[in-house]
Amino acid sequence: CAEPSGASRPGAAPAPRPCWETGASEPRRRPAGGAAAAPAASGGGGSGRVDCPSLSCPAFVSPSGTQGCICVELCVLHHPHAAFLSTLPQDIRNTVGNIPMEWYQDFPHIGYDLEGKKIYKPIRNKDELDKFLEKMENPDYWRTVQDKMTGADIKLTDEQVDLVHRLQKGQFGDVHFDPYEPAIDFFSHEVMIHPVTNRPADKRSFIPSLIEKEKVSKLVHAIKMGWIKPRKPKEDTPTYYDLWAHEDPNSILGRHKMHVPAPKMKLPGHEESYNPPPEYLPSEEEKLAWEQQEPAERKLNFVPRQYRCLRAVPAYSRFIHERFERCLDLYLCPRQRKMRVNVDPEDLIPKLPKPRDLQPFPTTQALVYRGHSSLVRCLSICPGGQWLVSGSDDCTVRFWEVSTARCMKTLPLAGVVKSISWNPNPTICLVAIAVEQSVLLVNPSLGDKLLYGATDQLLESYVAPEEERVQPVQWVAATTEEHGKGIRLVVQHSRPVKQVTWHGKGDYFASVLADNSNMQVLIHQTSKRWSQNPFRKSKGLVQCVLFHPIRPYFFVATQRYVRVYNLLKQELTKKLMTNCKWVSSMAIHPGGDNIICGSYDSKLAWFDLDLSTRPYQLLRHHKKALRSVAFHKHYPLFASGSDDGSVIVCHGMVYNDLLQNPLLVPVKVLKGHALTWDLGVLDVLFHPTQPWVFSSGADGTVRLFT
Amino acid sequence: MAQLPARFRTESQRYAVEDVPFSVPAASEVADLSNLINKLLAARDEEHKHVEFDFLVNGQFLRVPLVAHMEMENIPTEEVVEIEYVEKYMAPQPEECIFHDDWISSVQATEEWILTGSYDQTARIWSLEGKSVMTIAGHTEVVKDVAWVKQDSLSCLLLSASMDQTILLWEWNVERNKVKALHCCRGHAGSVDSIAVDCTRTRFCSGSWDKMLKIWSAVPTDEEDEMEEAANRPRKKQKTEQLGLTRTPLTTLSGHTEAISSVLWSDTEEICSASWDHTIKLWDAETGGLKSTLTGNKVFNSVSYSPLCRRLASGSTDRHIRLWDPRSRDGSLVLLSLTSHTGWVTSVKWSPTHEHQLISGSLDNIVKLWDTRSCKAPLYDLAAHEDKVLCVDWTEAGLLLSGGADNKLYCYKYPAIASDVGA
Repeated sequence: CAEPSGASRPGAAPAPRPCWETGASEPRRRPAGGAAAAPAASGGGGSGRVDCPSLSCPAFVSPSGTQGCICVELCVLHHPHAAFLSTLPQDIRNTVGNIPMEWYQDFPHIGYDLEGKKIYKPIRNKDELDKFLEKMENPDYWRTVQDKMTGADIKLTDEQVDLVHRLQKGQFGDVHFDPYEPAIDFFSHEVMIHPVTNRPADKRSFIPSLIEKEKVSKLVHAIKMGWIKPRKPKEDTPTYYDLWAHEDPNSILGRHKMHVPAPKMKLPGHEESYNPPPEYLPSEEEKLAWEQQEPAERKLNFVPRQYRCLRAVPAYSRFIHERFERCLDLYLCPRQRKMRVNVDPEDLIPKLPKPRDLQPFPTTQALVYRGHSSLVRCLSICPGGQWLVSGSDDCTVRFWEVSTARCMKTLPLAGVVKSISWNPNPTICLVAIAVEQSVLLVNPSLGDKLLYGATDQLLESYVAPEEERVQPVQWVAATTEEHGKGIRLVVQHSRPVKQVTWHGKGDYFASVLADNSNMQVLIHQTSKRWSQNPFRKSKGLVQCVLFHPIRPYFFVATQRYVRVYNLLKQELTKKLMTNCKWVSSMAIHPGGDNIICGSYDSKLAWFDLDLSTRPYQLLRHHKKALRSVAFHKHYPLFASGSDDGSVIVCHGMVYNDLLQNPLLVPVKVLKGHALTWDLGVLDVLFHPTQPWVFSSGADGTVRLFT
Repeated sequence: MAQLPARFRTESQRYAVEDVPFSVPAASEVADLSNLINKLLAARDEEHKHVEFDFLVNGQFLRVPLVAHMEMENIPTEEVVEIEYVEKYMAPQPEECIFHDDWISSVQATEEWILTGSYDQTARIWSLEGKSVMTIAGHTEVVKDVAWVKQDSLSCLLLSASMDQTILLWEWNVERNKVKALHCCRGHAGSVDSIAVDCTRTRFCSGSWDKMLKIWSAVPTDEEDEMEEAANRPRKKQKTEQLGLTRTPLTTLSGHTEAISSVLWSDTEEICSASWDHTIKLWDAETGGLKSTLTGNKVFNSVSYSPLCRRLASGSTDRHIRLWDPRSRDGSLVLLSLTSHTGWVTSVKWSPTHEHQLISGSLDNIVKLWDTRSCKAPLYDLAAHEDKVLCVDWTEAGLLLSGGADNKLYCYKYPAIASDVGA
């Protein structure tokens, strides 16, 4: 153990010294005057702390009882100023100093005394037996220690033993020292009225320091010369590396850009509260309804319930279920965004030209043809466009001058006029009128005298064939009285006639009968006074028929279909699906490739015969049933009249280019007819040469719009 | 109030004022300016009576406050504005209302007599006082147009065109009040809608529904022209025997693709025809060639020519009266549109004495008197008819006539220029 020798050095172990100097040993040391001077000679640095036991002693004792104990013991034994040494008869003092005593191991002496004489080691010739005997016999053996410096045995006094015991126990060496004295805090935070020290302030404390001035001036000079530069502000932006900076956005790994966040859970609402407001609590009926609903159809997957307090809420029975559903949600949620084209629905609407760019078309009411006393069912116009003929429920047919609305002629008939048709051939002046069960062929005697004279001659030139033919109808020449009224021929049918229409050449005409049998449509030839029934079987209730303007086709409209027959081959060519519930009227484009059908369910279907058997376009502009549709002969116009009292004129351009679809633009709604018995416009008709449209109404008027 | 520098000018010497600039209130209207002129005149002449004036700025009638008018016409207000004033036209005074049996399709009046054609297949001659003088029956269809050819104190020649495709030339003996059909002009294959006599009174032209324009001689003769296909028409021939000698056209002009609604002689050798095919064509009557075509975009109902201003006025199946310059070669430009009617304009007629004024009848039952210097609004509305107006006429004596579908012929006295009457 090196500690004992180190502890004997005056500078290294100053602290323990005051323990006994101030304590028990003090009264004994004082008589030895020579000893008092010794500490100053051997180790002067430590003397200043003698007065201050409270600072040093606790620090020495505190670490551990055992170590402190040994230290104290050895210090006590080896210390040159130990009190008990002064009790020796002669002062044997070794002057070798603080050296390892092993160095004198092989010498007979152990050092030198004050006078320079060798101090010889005491004789140690006791063997083990002697040592044992001494141990057993000497009562002071336990208090005898060997002084390493001199090699002599020393017997400790009672005080010294007490001191050792106290130190071993970790107590202060001085019996009277009280470590728990109240501390006096000199340098407290409290301001005292007197200074702690009354020393006057140093002069240097109020005289500027020359050295500092020099330093400062040096710094200032260096700053001026630019040797010192102001410190750069530290950039505290974090530096990091963009891992995906050079990534191809189109690669598969660019998928993170299309990140789809997982669907969020629904936030809890009031109904999930343990004490929901009363309006969230279901009534008995609602509960019953909830139970009867399919689980998938339920609005809530639980019944809101009320509990007295939160503590009364039982465990949630659906917890696992709900976790499972949430997992399903996450599992089934989309992982990738579906690329969809964002299209403004406005862009999908075809760009239609403005109506004012599509002039001319009828815009205003110009003339009203008054005279009929009941609803005017049908209209027809002479091919030249000078005369208009109208048939009415007041059992008259009136002929009008178009330009002045002058009624030129009135022809009273036996019944309600159902249909009327002016012969489209400009060289024949003949009007076919369907009245009850007969079709009357009337020469109106209007227009060119040569023409209507020639027409009469044509009719008179008929020579009856020899053999009697079986005909479905009877052709009867008019009586003299009827002849005076203009009637030339009467074709008597077996059933009421609904419609009559001419072929474009003006020789044939077709009539539609109100019948259910196969005798619904008849085709008549005027010049030969010959009629035939073209159909063997009835294909439904025929609404109207129409001749193709150019080709030998015949259109028959039943309630839902329009059938196109080839008259030469005598076969069905096409069957058009109208998509309407009940077709009311039909008109054909003068080009012959397009048909419009009006229906009672207020739809107008445009068929392109080359395109499809389904409607190219369905127009639903009218609010009520369509009664009549018409095409203009030259202008790209068509019109429809409806029960809502309006006539809608549309621009219907058909292009010669087969690749271009027809352009249909509604251009004008013409109103004027008053609604009578829920009927509005009954027939519409275009002027053959001008962009004018006639409409006949249930209010007994015919109106001209230009 | 802002003042405008103005200089007043007039054509009539009676009402001339000093040619010095006046400062007039900017917001002054016609009545204010009229009062101003009257005060100036009264200061000069003690015996001056109050006269109403009308004012023209840049050839346009003043109808709104002066400053608003100048703003509308883009006239600078800094310079001295020249204001022309004329004596205010008196409103047409209703004179007679002549009742017919049926619609009146046409009217033409002279200084003494009024000739009307009616839908009851007759033409009638009336005195100016509204007394029925003669009823000319002979047509088998509606009489569409009538015209005077010649007038003497003893006998008059007149024409009537009908829907029965003939034009009859009548001689009316005034003294004995007898009428005699001299010639029956055959050749049209449709209703003859319009006839016009040339200024030499020897020829007339007719426009028909059959798209043809025919020129006939108006000189009565004793010979009958040969009809080619008369042989196989026994029934019609009987009728012709009753109604004078048959006459055939001198020339036939074909070119229109639709019915001709109105014809007139714009010059001695120039015929103007308006048609339903949206064109007005000018023909050379001598050669029978087409001189020029004015194309509109509506059916023409009526056309009228004024030799005073050399303009054509047309009424069509829309609301507008359009003025044309028949001599313009650079396209057929509409010079002016007069818009106030609400229905088809069935008939237009220029004033024979005044170069700016015309009259128009329309399907909206109103006859309007226009001044081309005030194109926004007519001078007067003559709203007497209860039904469609079909024909109008304006005589040199200042008589306005209009007939319509209410079977009434209204006559108005209209002094074309008030100052002339006073002079």
